[in-house]
Amino acid sequence: MDPLWMVALITGLTTGGLSCMLVQGGLLTTSLASQLEAELRTRKPARSGQGTRGSAAGRNLLQPILLFLGAKLFAYTVLGFALGALGSVLSLTPGMRGALQIAIGIFMVGNALRMLQVHPVFRYFNLEPPARVTRALRRKSKQATGLTPLVLGAMTVLIPCGVTQSMMALAMGTGSPLLGAGILFAFTLGASPVFFGLTYLAMRLGALLEKNFARVAAAGLILLGLWTLDGGLNLVGSPVSLSRLPRMVAEAVSPGTGLQSFSASGDGGISPFARQDAVPVSDKITIEVGDNGYTPDRVRAPANQPVQLQLVTRGTYSCSRAFLIPSLDLSALLPARGVETLDIPPQKPGTRLQFTCSMGMFTGVITFQ
Amino acid sequence: MVKKTFVISDMHCANCVMRLEGLEDDLPGIRYIRGSYHRQTLEVEFDETQLSEEQLRAAIARLGYTAQA
Repeated sequence: MDPLWMVALITGLTTGGLSCMLVQGGLLTTSLASQLEAELRTRKPARSGQGTRGSAAGRNLLQPILLFLGAKLFAYTVLGFALGALGSVLSLTPGMRGALQIAIGIFMVGNALRMLQVHPVFRYFNLEPPARVTRALRRKSKQATGLTPLVLGAMTVLIPCGVTQSMMALAMGTGSPLLGAGILFAFTLGASPVFFGLTYLAMRLGALLEKNFARVAAAGLILLGLWTLDGGLNLVGSPVSLSRLPRMVAEAVSPGTGLQSFSASGDGGISPFARQDAVPVSDKITIEVGDNGYTPDRVRAPANQPVQLQLVTRGTYSCSRAFLIPSLDLSALLPARGVETLDIPPQKPGTRLQFTCSMGMFTGVITFQ
Repeated sequence: MVKKTFVISDMHCANCVMRLEGLEDDLPGIRYIRGSYHRQTLEVEFDETQLSEEQLRAAIARLGYTAQA
């Protein structure tokens, strides 16, 4: 499974369900309550009205909730496909994708701060649907027909919550219809169990508990937003990013830690050394590209001469295969198995070339000396 | 007709806006109602012969919100 799908699924399971519930849960519960009230009126005309919501919760709820969630899943998958297609038409360069990802990260963190009510300005991170849309949704949710949950489920695409809006932006950033559809499918699927469970509770919960949901969802969203922001920084070739911070600190404290040099051996093989030393650096660098990143991820190379970068894959299927050196605008989509060689032009001594996967998740650096 | 803008600072998501705008289905005499989560406001135009401001405030309070002037 592509890591992005996995991230979307986990996001849905953790923060997405709670956040969606805040915005869209009301539609479903209103629809359920109306339906149950209508059923009750049909059976006992004299006893309709208040008290129905609580006592009826748990009865005949399974089918409408499943219809709602099924329709929602389908609608968001189609939306993801469309957004991915839109992203591909725009043919974003890695730099543009990075900038978009940074913006998405800021948007997500902003939304989390809005949910935590840090400052009124963060309210603008939540997009308000037009009055006509909200009115149509509200009216529909009060109609008590069997089809209502199905229609409402599909119409939730019109009122995405903050986390969903972030996932939509992520789907567009991939520039791939299939990946976009996969991201929103995984996210919506992930959010479904939480949505399902909370729907029962929501029949009785008020605004007080919703605030606690918001806090939990916001905390998750901040983490996810920082992760996205970090990927964006890596993609634009920023020398500083959050994930590299511990390594940069370690290097500042103890220079050379973890840096690997390559000696030129007769058979063209590699001899990585764990610490900086006097071994002459080779003009041929070999990096293993795995599902979880690049090994080694910090290498040295000789300055003022061309360098060959050999990228080796042995059954690699993650986004690490989409290799990129942002500052040189050099990229390659590696085969799942094999060796791909990239030629790096001569670099000045002291140059540090950041390399990354196409999503900015896995990174490394080549230092020229 | 009276036009009144209430500040409702305890709205915390778009769903709150929908709930508040739903008052037009429950109360008589509302000609126009529009909430804004961004501005934390609820704009209501209503017929004072059918609905008083106090009744409107009470209905907002029943939904769990506080209407300021």
